[in-house]
Amino acid sequence: MSVRTTLPLGFADLEPFVEQWAGATVDARMYARASADMAGIRRFYEVAVARGAEALEYCAQFPLDAMPDDAALLFRLMLGLAQASIAVEIHGQPRAPGTPWPNSITLQRGPSPFG
Amino acid sequence: MAQDATGAAATNFTRGIGLHTKPVPLEPYRSASFFAAERDRVFARAWLMLARVEELPAPGDYVVKSIPTNGVSVILSHAKDGRIRGFYNSCSHRGSEVVAGPRGNAARFTCPYHSWTYANDGRLVGIPDEPSFFAVDKANCGLTPIATETWEGWIFVNLQRRPEVSLAMFLGPFAVHLAGLKYQAASTPVVLTADLDANWKVVMDAFVETYHIPVIHPKTIGTTFSSKMNPFARLLDARKLGIHQAVSMYGNPEYVANPDNRVEALAYSAAATGSVIAAATTEGARAFLEHPSVNPTGSGTWSMDVNHLFPHTHIDCGPGGFWTHQFWPTSPNTCRYEVRFYVPQAQNVYERFQQELYVGRVAEIVLEDLNNVARTQRGIDTGGKDFMQIQDSEIGIRHTMEQLMKWVDADTVAEAMA
Ligand code: FES
Ligand SMILES: [Fe+2]
Repeated sequence: MSVRTTLPLGFADLEPFVEQWAGATVDARMYARASADMAGIRRFYEVAVARGAEALEYCAQFPLDAMPDDAALLFRLMLGLAQASIAVEIHGQPRAPGTPWPNSITLQRGPSPFG
Repeated sequence: MAQDATGAAATNFTRGIGLHTKPVPLEPYRSASFFAAERDRVFARAWLMLARVEELPAPGDYVVKSIPTNGVSVILSHAKDGRIRGFYNSCSHRGSEVVAGPRGNAARFTCPYHSWTYANDGRLVGIPDEPSFFAVDKANCGLTPIATETWEGWIFVNLQRRPEVSLAMFLGPFAVHLAGLKYQAASTPVVLTADLDANWKVVMDAFVETYHIPVIHPKTIGTTFSSKMNPFARLLDARKLGIHQAVSMYGNPEYVANPDNRVEALAYSAAATGSVIAAATTEGARAFLEHPSVNPTGSGTWSMDVNHLFPHTHIDCGPGGFWTHQFWPTSPNTCRYEVRFYVPQAQNVYERFQQELYVGRVAEIVLEDLNNVARTQRGIDTGGKDFMQIQDSEIGIRHTMEQLMKWVDADTVAEAMA
């Protein structure tokens, strides 16, 4: 993230999580989850999932590949929530139990946009 | 089919295909000489799948691909005449790599060392300060071609200067099995790679059997692949396709997402339901699923098919589309792994959100396998065991080993394939 953009009006409560969770690529967001501690992941998850439906609805007004900067940032944060959910809803810990970190898995190409 | 003590239907794949039922040797999973034989007698003689045509659709498009097993960098180039050619990525002057890659569009390639220049059909077209050389035979100093053929959008190369068998002969019944399959989302793969501390077959074996899934992947996919009816995730079907093979895997029809998974619920709230990978449900997706070799037994409890293309490629088909795995040997106990999930371009935020969940989950599954294969290799490397006990639903492992032994022993490819 080069230029500091803020979230759309009405989503200020999510602002503290932007820096950690709204990475520009899948790799960055996956890294955020894999390297975070569980308490921090849960804090973000609880706040963000409560605003999830509203946030996605807000972003859905725009074409996926042509969102205004603030909506795109909000959407990236929601994609960060998807990553956080893997820790909360599947493993109960940041990564699959007993798996190495860091590791050699590299995402060469993610889904676009925000891949 | 009759049920047995586990409650699941009994299978008879191994004998049905005519394979032996004896233990399978482990030495090929750790031996330096077997690795060298695989490199020189298998990978240097077999047709190797390297790309799909969607990676270089327009004239001038090129991609640079690596065959790490043999240390070969390959330029695949789509020239104006419409042909896709393969070249060793090495300059006629003093051998340098010519094209950095990984992809681009160019009519000409210029070597970064002294600027010798080649047309994208391989011809040498420019030598700076040519008068200082000694009558270079330019016609014979183009990029060195690699035998390259295409089948149904898959681009293959063969490192033999003159391949002993054509791609069609090499594919044999495999080409019949998947003939006409309509590959969905072929131009938008999600690509993951990993360098693993395990023999390539250790990794490949983990993707051709479902016996391990309830144990290694209990939370990510365990309940998708097994159920009370089939607790050990036995296969639905196994077919020998010449040197290749196809297995069809069981899926648990009772699997439902946990309603406590609030983010998963969010992802599917407003969007069309259906499989994650097939976010775009289209006519094409229907045609894909109706292909006779996709869910070949027409089972209502089907999860996916593994179509194993000898030696080291899987083309897998599931309810949402296709994906590939490749397992490249790099030493007796390391390999390079690449998985390409072909995911449709998301049309809205909900589909894109689903894809993020999907990719995150897939990466976790790969991570679980990565940990498992390193542990398996360490066990094999102790030397305490010389053989594996292979059950009926692990038939893919037995079949591949039988083919590999033939290729390693045979002096000609025809003999290996007989
Ligand atoms: S090595 Fe390529 S121009 Fe000299
Ligand atoms: Fe696995």
